Amino acid sequence: MLYREAGQFKTTYGADQAIFPIPQDRWVVYAVIALAFVAVPSVANEYWLQAILIPALVFTLAAIGLNLLTGYCGQLSLGTGGFMACGAYATYKLSTAFPEMNILIVFLLSGIPAAAVGCLFGIPSLRIKGFYLAVATLAAQFFLVWLFNRVEWFYNYNPSGTITAPPRTMGGFMVTGPEATAEARYLVALGFVALFALLAKNLMRGRVGRAWMAIRDMDIAAEIIGIRPLTTKLAAFAVSSYVCGVAGALYFAIYLGSVETAAFDISVSFLVLFMVIIGGLGSILGSILGAFFITVVPILLTNVPEALGLPIGVALAKQLENIVFGAMIVFFLIVEPHGLARLWQIAKEKLRRWPFPY
Amino acid sequence: MDALYHVLISPFVDMATQPVFFAEVVIGGLMAGVMYALVALGFAVIFKASGVVNFAQGAMVLFAALTLVGFMEHGLPSWAAIPMTIVVMIALAYAIERVILRHLVNQPHIVLFMTTIGLAFVFEGLGELIWGSNVKALDIGIPDQPFFVGGMLLNQFEIFAAVTAAILVTLLVIFLQKTAIGRALRAVADDHQAAQSVGIPLQTIWVVVWSVAGFIALVAGVMWGAQSGVQFSLSLIAFKALPVLILGGFNSIPGAIVGGLIIGVGEKVAEIYWGPIIGGAIENWFAYVLAMVFLMFRPQGLFGEKIIERV
Amino acid sequence: MSEAYADAAVSAGAPQAPARVFTETLLSVDDISLSFGGVKAISNVSFDIKQGEIRAIIGPNGAGKTSMLNVINGFYHPQQGRITYRGKVRKKMRPNEAAKTGIARTFQNVALFKGMSTLDNIMTGRLLKMKRNFFWQALYWGPAKAEELQHREYVEHIIDFLEIQSIRRTPVGRLPYGLQKRVELARALAMEPHLLLLDEPMAGMNVEEKEDMSRFILDVNDEFGTTIALIEHDIGVVMDLSDRVVVLDYGRKLADGTPDEVSRDQKVIDAYLGVPHE
Repeated sequence: MLYREAGQFKTTYGADQAIFPIPQDRWVVYAVIALAFVAVPSVANEYWLQAILIPALVFTLAAIGLNLLTGYCGQLSLGTGGFMACGAYATYKLSTAFPEMNILIVFLLSGIPAAAVGCLFGIPSLRIKGFYLAVATLAAQFFLVWLFNRVEWFYNYNPSGTITAPPRTMGGFMVTGPEATAEARYLVALGFVALFALLAKNLMRGRVGRAWMAIRDMDIAAEIIGIRPLTTKLAAFAVSSYVCGVAGALYFAIYLGSVETAAFDISVSFLVLFMVIIGGLGSILGSILGAFFITVVPILLTNVPEALGLPIGVALAKQLENIVFGAMIVFFLIVEPHGLARLWQIAKEKLRRWPFPY
Repeated sequence: MDALYHVLISPFVDMATQPVFFAEVVIGGLMAGVMYALVALGFAVIFKASGVVNFAQGAMVLFAALTLVGFMEHGLPSWAAIPMTIVVMIALAYAIERVILRHLVNQPHIVLFMTTIGLAFVFEGLGELIWGSNVKALDIGIPDQPFFVGGMLLNQFEIFAAVTAAILVTLLVIFLQKTAIGRALRAVADDHQAAQSVGIPLQTIWVVVWSVAGFIALVAGVMWGAQSGVQFSLSLIAFKALPVLILGGFNSIPGAIVGGLIIGVGEKVAEIYWGPIIGGAIENWFAYVLAMVFLMFRPQGLFGEKIIERV
Repeated sequence: MSEAYADAAVSAGAPQAPARVFTETLLSVDDISLSFGGVKAISNVSFDIKQGEIRAIIGPNGAGKTSMLNVINGFYHPQQGRITYRGKVRKKMRPNEAAKTGIARTFQNVALFKGMSTLDNIMTGRLLKMKRNFFWQALYWGPAKAEELQHREYVEHIIDFLEIQSIRRTPVGRLPYGLQKRVELARALAMEPHLLLLDEPMAGMNVEEKEDMSRFILDVNDEFGTTIALIEHDIGVVMDLSDRVVVLDYGRKLADGTPDEVSRDQKVIDAYLGVPHE
């Protein structure tokens, strides 16, 4: 009874096409956004921000990027780590070459090389599908990481091979570099996630989204309604890689501060894929839920046994984490391929009827 | 100009002027290729029987090797440990069918593929949880004395690996082409529903296939483990096998072998002659780029069947 | 609104007066041959489709009917022959290019986008008409939003026309077969095609569903003036619906004419009743 939409009539198609057609939903979302921007930074401590919220937000962005490609356009990619690396190294090169450039502009520009590279590795998608394409994206993953590792120009000939985010300010606040506070970095990450989630949602509920989903669901039928498969798929690769690139830029400059290529290895690609599967393929909300879930589980795995007086070693925690993630993937693919997002939807349906069984 | 010379001409000059060294490189590549092929075979068998790329094959290699070493560390002699490991792998195949495959009948292949990625993580975690994560030596008495043939350095171990692969392939080809189960396998790969409707017991077939793949994983695990120790990186050889399969065609047993050999030789030759020019350590991606270029021209692989889409 | 259409259906649904005369040729295929690695699917077939008519293609299984549609809409490229569409000889083209020239199509086995709702499926039919670029789309504001709503309105018009209002939000995978076929027709109509190709629009339907579908086909032809080429096995339906019929058998043209002429043709009767081929 708490959640009722009876008696709410929409009188325009505009209202009917809104992201949240039900006012209750809309108010909840506004409240969550307000909380996230205002309440969280003043309440959360350094550990919460740095260990959970910032990485979760950065990975949310990456998961949105991958979800656009895999969940909406149906092209499985295992190259997310590589595309993120493009964004990170582009940020490093841009911010060191043009120190006076606004760091937000740098982040946004960093997605462009990632998009170009994504397009390049998306070309085989014309000829191949499914896991063949997944294997082709592995080529991107391995090649890009090798490239950034071997070509010294990318890390400005730094003998250690690491790249470090230079200190940059925004509106008087330090947002990157060692001086930046966790709060400032959190707000930047949150801003990007909110912006890109909205843009992605818009893109997916309009013409572009329908074209991508058409390709995903049945490419032959998509062709007869006039969709050009190659350009559509390449656009999906480009947009997805762009978002992943920006996520990579934040991963480097906002979350970690300094990275080596190892930070972008294949395990990152798998992690983001897991977020998308567990959160829900083809759902922006799912990307958010999945990223938070995957970020929180390892922390729970180390902290809960400790709190119970059964401290477990790092190795054991890592093994448990593998088993849990693997089992969750298998579970969700078998039981609920639309992931946590779908579970949330089911919960809402139930809530709508509550307290009646049906 | 100078760079072009180093890329396009000087490697070939080196090959021509030092033929013995070149032959050694090629043979080294062939041997590495045999090892890749051993892993790729496991993929090919499962693909042939269910149309699924089993990403967990690499993790199964690790798991089988860890189990074998684990048994031997507990004092079992190798003649007892090997059959016991086989039993474990069969039990796993059974469990996989019960818990996973049964529920994914008629699902798109890409869903099954993603499921096996999850499965790979479970295997890795489980193997290390049970048997520990430190590097272990595996010695079941495979000879590995070096010897010279016509001025080239060879190793008995490599010959042994090649012979093992040859036997395994022969057995598999006989199994798949000549037996009733083999025919049923191919039917299942083509269409789950149709196969079931003509009375092929899907469940049994899958247990058999995954057991066979588990056995191949054990063989691969023994060979790789004996060569470089049993450790976590064994599961990464799945990444080596994928381009091999693309090159050879996912559903072809001979393709897995030939693809493995091509990748093995290509990788070694490229690393030795071109690697220094572009900074080395190219073996991580070279196979993939080779496979990708290949895909553009022949998507079904060397030995794969051409897929014709009907509308 | 739908009642008005239903009334129109009654008047149009009466047996087609044979007097319907069409003069302008919309599409003509000349001397088309198509083979797959030695197997001849179509040999030297020629016929034309006139602007505004309902043209049926019939024939036994394996006669090359679907192959013919595939040639017309660009899936297959014939080894020989010429296609003239709207007065111009057509170059070899992909299905998406054919779509751009106003050829829409439904499939024998429903080819809908299973993960999308009925509304979204039909909206995909408007893709070619939507012009706003990526950036407007991402903003979903101003012209992009106006465009979206304008097309939504058109789609709602089709939804009303085909009487599928109640399943607007249902994922198409959950719909029964007959409704899926209707949604597929709706998607094709959303493209505002000049030429609509229907591949067995009534396959697997019961009598009521067939009647509904026949009525929709006549209405579409009548209201939108769409030229329709359809493949159908139910001879009764074909005779009632179509203005002219072309009969294929073993990839060759057997007969071509009005339903009456065709049904009296001895070769057609032989082909259907199974006189042995020499």
